[in-house]
Amino acid sequence: MYRKLISNDIRKSRLLTITITVFILLAALLTSLAAMLTINLFTAIDNMMLSAKTPHFLQMHSGDIDMERLSVFAGTQEDVEDFQVVKFLNIEGAEIFIGENSLAGSVQDNGLSVQSKGFDFLLDLNGNIITPADGEIYVPIYYMKEGTASVGDRVTIHGMPFTVAGFLRDSQMNAAMISSKRFLISENDFQKMQGFGKLEYLIEFRFTDSSAASAFESAYLQAGLEANGPPAITHALFRMANAISDGMMIAVLILISVLVIIINFLCIRFTMLAKIEEDYREIGVLKAIGLRGWSIKKLYLAKYSVLAGIGCILGFILSLFAKEPLMENIRLYMGEGSSPGLGIALGIIGAGIIFFIVVLYVNSTLRRFKKISAAQAIRFGAPQERSKVVKGFLLSENKLLSPNIFLGMKDVLSRKKLYVTMLLVLVISSFLMIVPQNIHNTVSKRNFMTYMGIGECDMRIDIQQADNIAAKALEITSVIEKDKDITRYTVLTSYMFDMRLEDGSMGKLKVELGDHSVFPIEYSAGTAPRGESEIAISTLIADDTQKGVGDTIVLLIDGQEKLLTVCGIYSDITNGGKTAKAAFETSQDRILWSIIPIELRDRGMTDEKASEYKKQFSYAKVSDIEEYLDQSFGTTIAAIKKASYAAIAAAALLTVLVTLLFMKMLVTKDRYTIAVLKSSGFNNRDICRQYVTRSVLILVVGVLIGTVLANTVGELVGVGLISSFGASTFHFEINPLFAYLFSPALMTVCVYLATRLGISDIFLLKISEHIKE
Amino acid sequence: MKKILSGKNIVKTYGKEQETSNALDGVDVEILAGEFVAVMGPSGCGKSTLLFALSGTDSINSGLIEFDGAELSRLKENKLADIRRTKMGFVFQQPTMLKNLNILDNIILPSLQENRKDITRHIQKAKELLVKTGISELERRDITEVSGGQLQRAGICRALMNKPKILFADEPTGALNSKSSEGIMELLSDINKNGTAILLVTHDVKVASRADRVLFMKDGVIKSELGLGKFNSVDMQKRMNRVTLQMRNFEI
Repeated sequence: MYRKLISNDIRKSRLLTITITVFILLAALLTSLAAMLTINLFTAIDNMMLSAKTPHFLQMHSGDIDMERLSVFAGTQEDVEDFQVVKFLNIEGAEIFIGENSLAGSVQDNGLSVQSKGFDFLLDLNGNIITPADGEIYVPIYYMKEGTASVGDRVTIHGMPFTVAGFLRDSQMNAAMISSKRFLISENDFQKMQGFGKLEYLIEFRFTDSSAASAFESAYLQAGLEANGPPAITHALFRMANAISDGMMIAVLILISVLVIIINFLCIRFTMLAKIEEDYREIGVLKAIGLRGWSIKKLYLAKYSVLAGIGCILGFILSLFAKEPLMENIRLYMGEGSSPGLGIALGIIGAGIIFFIVVLYVNSTLRRFKKISAAQAIRFGAPQERSKVVKGFLLSENKLLSPNIFLGMKDVLSRKKLYVTMLLVLVISSFLMIVPQNIHNTVSKRNFMTYMGIGECDMRIDIQQADNIAAKALEITSVIEKDKDITRYTVLTSYMFDMRLEDGSMGKLKVELGDHSVFPIEYSAGTAPRGESEIAISTLIADDTQKGVGDTIVLLIDGQEKLLTVCGIYSDITNGGKTAKAAFETSQDRILWSIIPIELRDRGMTDEKASEYKKQFSYAKVSDIEEYLDQSFGTTIAAIKKASYAAIAAAALLTVLVTLLFMKMLVTKDRYTIAVLKSSGFNNRDICRQYVTRSVLILVVGVLIGTVLANTVGELVGVGLISSFGASTFHFEINPLFAYLFSPALMTVCVYLATRLGISDIFLLKISEHIKE
Repeated sequence: MKKILSGKNIVKTYGKEQETSNALDGVDVEILAGEFVAVMGPSGCGKSTLLFALSGTDSINSGLIEFDGAELSRLKENKLADIRRTKMGFVFQQPTMLKNLNILDNIILPSLQENRKDITRHIQKAKELLVKTGISELERRDITEVSGGQLQRAGICRALMNKPKILFADEPTGALNSKSSEGIMELLSDINKNGTAILLVTHDVKVASRADRVLFMKDGVIKSELGLGKFNSVDMQKRMNRVTLQMRNFEI
C-alpha cells in the first residue's frame, strides 16, 4: 500500500522528487567526503611526523653557535629526550639550476641539508629514510608538484652537478606556505658546497612529553641561547602547517555542505508545504474517514525517508570515488593515512547523519497535520494565513496598484510561510555574492597592508644579518636624504628587549623603534606610540600577556627597568606576529634589523629606484612593495579572487535553480487559481505579471536584507577568514558599484529569467482541465 | 432574434493515439441573443465539454465556433481572455473564487482588470448586485466564512459585473440544497429577462424547465431539442413533464 502510494506520488511529481533527492545526495556526498578527508589528512600527517620524528621544538639561527652551551642546556631540561643541530646551507635561488631553469624567481629560501642522525628525517615518497649517494640530490616534493623537476633531471648548484634521485617529504617544510625548502645531498657533497652559501643552523629538540614545548620555549629564551632567526616553531605548529592547505579545502567542503544542507532543508520545507497544501482536501477526507494523524504522517515520512535513503546511499558511494582525486595531494605530501576503514566508517556516519537530520526535519514539518480540521479541509482546502495586514489590504480600497500587481503582492502577504523559503535563498545568494567580493576588494586594496602591520610605502630597504646595522642604515639614509625622488622615509630599528612578566620572570620582546607616524598602520585599538613612555603591541603579544590599551609593560632597557603604557594594539603578519612598536631611545648596540620604508615622488619609478639602491647597497634587501606584497600574499589574493568569482557563479546558479524550482512548483500548486483567473478574463500576460510581481517583491526584500547582512555580519565572517592569515581587525572596503549595483542587477536578471522560465506552464494551462466538475 | 453564439460540426477528442474517445462528435448548435438554453444528458455525454468549447475556454479538434461575430476557434489566447472578461460570464458548480480576497474584492476583480480608474463605479455596481442577490451583508466576508449558496450568488454577481452578453453556467445548482437552488434559478431567470443569454448545463429537470429551449445530449452528440418558450412559473409542472417525457423518449 505504502509502496504504491509513494511510487504514484513520485511519478506524479518527478521534478520535485529528483531535485530533493539530488540536494540530499549532494549534502551526503559533501559530508561524507569531508569526514573521510579529515580523518585521512590527520592520520597521514601523524604517520609522516611519526616516521620522520619531527622535532618538538625548532629554533633557526644564523651566526656563531656554541654547541657545548646548548648541550649543557639540553641536559638540564628534564623533558628533553634528544637534541641535535642540523646544518642548513642557504643557497641563492639564482645559483640553483634544475635542468636549464634557475630558481631565481622562487619565493622560497632554498638550501642544502644532509640526512639527520637522530630525528627530523627527510623521507622518500614511500616513507623511508633517505640516504643519498654522492652526486645524488633529493628535491623537495613542492618542486615535483610545481612541475619544476623530475627524477633523472640534472641539478647544478654553483656549477656543481647533481642528479635528481628522487623527491623528499620534509615534515617541517613540506607545505608551500613554509618559505624554506631543504634539498638533500650526501655528507661528502655537503662538505664541498659549504663555501657557496650562508650557513644556518636548525637547533632541534625532542621531548618525552610534547606538551612541554611552551615551558621549554620560555626557558630557552630565558637562557639567552642562540636565537638569531625567526621565532621558534613547535611540533603543534608543524602539524598545523602541514594540515593548513588541505585543511582549508576540507573547511571549504564543510562550508559548502552546510550551505547545501540549509538550502536542502528550505527546498524540502517548501515542497512539503506545497504538497500538503495541495493534498489538504485529501488529508481532510482521510481524517474524516477515521485515519489517525500519525497514519497520514507516516505516508509522507515514508516517502521522504525513501528519498533521503536513496540520496544518502548514492551520496556516500559517490564520495568514495570523489575522494580519490582530492586525496592525491594529501597522499603526495604526507603519504597514506593509517585507517582507511575508519575513514569509510566516518563517511558512512556523515551520510547517516544527513539521513537522520532530513527525516527529523520532515517529521517536525509534519507537525501541522495535527492542526488540520477535517471539515474545513474538505470544504475549502488549505487555510489562508490570517493577519490584520492581509485582511486590511483590500482591492476595493486600492487605487494605486494595478490588479495584477495587487494580486501578486497580496499572495506574498497571504502565504508568507511559503515565500520565506525563496526569500532565505535570495538572502543567502546576495550574501554569498557580496562577502567574498568584499573580502577580495579589501585584501587587494593597497592600504590593506596597514592592517597587517606594514606602513603604506612604495619601497622598503631591509638591513639584517649584517654587522653594524646602525652604521649601514646611516649610510643609506645619507644617500636618501639627498635623493630628490624620495618624498618621505623613516628608519625603524628592531631590538630584542627583556620584558618582566606578570609572575616576575623575564621574557623577550621584539620592539621596533622609530617614528611610527611617518608610515602609519591601522590599530585595532588605540593609537601609534608617540611619547617616550608609550608602546604599541601586536595582537599576539596582547593575547600572550593579557594586556590591553592603558595597561603597562616593564622592559629592561640599557640595564634599567622602563615602565611603558600600552597605547595601541595592531595586527602583524611580519616576524611571527609577536612584535611591539615604540618611540623611545636606546643605547643598546645589538640590533636585530633595520627597515627603511620609502615613499617616492612618482610611484611609477619604483622599479628603477629599487634596482638603483640594490646596486648601491648590496648588503641590504631592497624591495618594491608591490612585489613584496605580491610574493607574500599574491597567491592568497589570487585564490580569494578566484573564490569570489566562483562564489558569484555559485550564487547566480543557486538563485536561478531555486527560483526556477520554486516558480514551477508554485504554478503547479496554483493551477486552480490560475484557471479561475483565466476564466475571469485574465490573459496569460496578466497572470505572468502577478508571478513576476511576487518574485520581484521577494527579490527586493531578499537583496536588501542580503546586502545589509553582507556588509555588516559579512564583515565578521571576513574578519574570521582574513585573521587566519594575520590581520585580525579591519573594515570592509565595499565596492559600491558591485555591492549596490552589479550584485542586485545580477540577482534581478537571474530571478527574472528563472521566473519567466518557471512560469511558462501558465501558457499551457487549460481552464477546463482544472475547473470542469 | 440575432444569433449570438454558434457551433458547427464541433469535434473534441480526449486521449492519445488508439485510446481516443470523442467527447463531442460533430455537434451543431446555435444560441440567440437573450435566449436561455439548457443542456441535459447523462454523465459523460459531453455537456460540460460543449459548454467549455463554446465559451472558448477549451480547444476543439475541428469545427467552427462563432461568438458575437468573431470566430473563437481562431482567436489567440489574449483576445479570448478579453472576450471572456467583457462579453461572457461564468458560473460553475463549485464557486470559483480566489481564497485570499474577500467577497467584494472577488466580485470587482474582472471589472478592475478592464478599467481601473472607475473603481468607485465598480464598487457601487457590485454593491447593487449584492443587494439584488440578497447577500449585501457579506461583502467584507472571506469566502470561507459564507455558505455554498451565498458563495454561488457571489459568483453570479462577479459574472454579471461586466454586463455579459452570455452567461455560461455549468451545473450552478449541483452542489446546493433545493431552497438555495430555487433562489439561484430565480436569479438566473431575472438575469435572462434583462437580456443576457444563458447556456446552462444541468442534470436537474426542474432547473432545465426554466429554459426557453432544452438540448438533449448523448454520446457526444445532440440527440434532440425541446422548445419550451419563455418561462412562466404557472406552467412549471407542465414544462417539467415535457422535459421528462423527452428524456424518456431518447433514453437520457
